Amino acid sequence: MFEPRTLRRHIVDLASHGRSAHLGCALSLVEICAALYGGVMRYDRQDPAAPDRDLLVLSKGHGVMALYACFCDLGWITDGDVRAYLGNGTRLRGLCESDVPGCEVSSGSLGHGLPVAVGMAYGLARLQSDRRVWCIVGDGEMNEGSMWEAMLFAAHHSLDKLTVIVDANGFQAMGRTDEVLSTEPLVAKFEAFGFAAVECDGHDLPALTAALTPHDGPRHAPRAVIARTVKGHGLSFAADDNRWHYTRLDDATRAAALEELR
Amino acid sequence: MRHAVSPLLLEAAESDERFLVLSGDHGYELFDALRTHHPDRFVNVGVAEQSMIGIAAGLCQTGFRPCVYGLASFVPIRVLEQVKMDLCFGSLPVVILGDGAGLVYSVLGASHQCGEDVACLRPLPHIAIYSPCDAHELRACWIEARGNSTPSYLRIGKSHPDDIHPGAVQGTSPKIVHEATPGSSTAVIVATGAMVRSGLSFARAHGLRCISVPRLKPAPLDLIPLLGDAERVAVIEEHASSGGLWSLVLEMLQAAGTNRSLRVEAFGLRTMFTATAGDHQHALGEHDLGDEQLARRLAAWLGATGAPSP
Ligand SMILES: Cc1ncc(C[n+]2csc(CCOP(=O)(O)OP(=O)(O)O)c2C)c(N)n1
Repeated sequence: MFEPRTLRRHIVDLASHGRSAHLGCALSLVEICAALYGGVMRYDRQDPAAPDRDLLVLSKGHGVMALYACFCDLGWITDGDVRAYLGNGTRLRGLCESDVPGCEVSSGSLGHGLPVAVGMAYGLARLQSDRRVWCIVGDGEMNEGSMWEAMLFAAHHSLDKLTVIVDANGFQAMGRTDEVLSTEPLVAKFEAFGFAAVECDGHDLPALTAALTPHDGPRHAPRAVIARTVKGHGLSFAADDNRWHYTRLDDATRAAALEELR
Repeated sequence: MRHAVSPLLLEAAESDERFLVLSGDHGYELFDALRTHHPDRFVNVGVAEQSMIGIAAGLCQTGFRPCVYGLASFVPIRVLEQVKMDLCFGSLPVVILGDGAGLVYSVLGASHQCGEDVACLRPLPHIAIYSPCDAHELRACWIEARGNSTPSYLRIGKSHPDDIHPGAVQGTSPKIVHEATPGSSTAVIVATGAMVRSGLSFARAHGLRCISVPRLKPAPLDLIPLLGDAERVAVIEEHASSGGLWSLVLEMLQAAGTNRSLRVEAFGLRTMFTATAGDHQHALGEHDLGDEQLARRLAAWLGATGAPSP
């Protein structure tokens, strides 16, 4: 389960059946999701709504095909769902929406997921629950002011069950984040905002798993993992090429993708 | 219609050195021509819509004439208070382009669909609101908006390939896009934006007058005389009827003191989120506004007027 190559194949299937944009945006998230679903996160494989589950908030909701790929492995999404992706009357939307089991927050509008995740972590802290909240954000999404307001609150209230994972692929919609509106240095910024921040290779599954796994004992600070990723990772024609933010697969690119992921 | 935006931006940049376009990391090919010929006139402020409005206000106060671009869901919805205080309160001449209004982004779900922008902006002081139906109306609205000394909002909805008007139009008053067959019916169709296309095709088939309303604020009072002695009016829009053109027509009739029996029927978005994915027609269908459903509903409406159906 959650083998990155398989997850990428699911993403390619979804993107081609649904003629969906955002292929590159999902591909950079694969190892992050694999680490979370593969053991870091507490959840029930039989029940996406299990009451004691950790909460995973995909704040960059346009990466939702990476979540769907995990749901494919879990059986929460069927082959039929994949073949019908984005077809008339189907239930899976092209962005993360909370009426899909497993999707906790509707986050197609950037800058919403993290504040909601912080609210969840605060609520759980008030309830003295040991459930954790994991929130995946984009480095471009960090342009939004609401993200930084939420970070202030998280640190102020010592929400140590919250982990923010930045998919730092260096791109946003219209160009490189450094050229549009730089959000670096992310580690220093998160630290300055009161987070315990670390950085790691976002495609190295063991390294990610180690970085994400919480250490025992109270820490009194929210955590941030800056995952250094490559947009479009896993497909040589899409890697680090921002056209795959919006380009759709055609027959030729689909075949090339499946060949590479065989 | 959307293809007509890019040349307007280019022309404005060439004729007015104060002109700047701000975008919240969105738009792609819409800005290609501008960025090629005048790269210094395009500013990607990042995914930071709220700041973008404040930045536009500041630019305005230092002598620039900015145009702010975003998806209608974000600009003006996410930034409503910034529009109110940073732009409207100071009456600053900023032009807002709200793209993808209505259910254009049908597969992307609720966050990218927008049926409430007009209703949210209408109560704000000083702002003008435009909802063009094709490239010709877009140009007329743009020229007027750029000339306004106050804020303006241009709603850009579903872009259909064909224009409604045969050529350039003057001004932004309501426009008769189809004239009634003499003596045929006392029913009139009023529509705005992308829905003029649907209204027009029904009006053609049934010999009805069809009126397009490109400017929604200041109120298009000259619509009332165009209703003639109609007994029934159908108001079609890809926006919630409540707060949209339907409300506007009722308010104007009331204010005009038209004391005759006139039924104004709403054909707009319902107050609900679309429930499923699918194409634009499918999304409209959830609101009973798909081409076929609308034609059926309009036929029932027309039948109820007692008018002869061909
Ligand atoms: C509020 C809001 N503004 C604009 C958009 C359009 N948009 C979708 S993705 C994106 C870029 C996001 O960049 P990043 O978070 O780095 O995502 P990635 O590059 O990893 O896909 C933008 C601007 C949006 N979804 N929400």
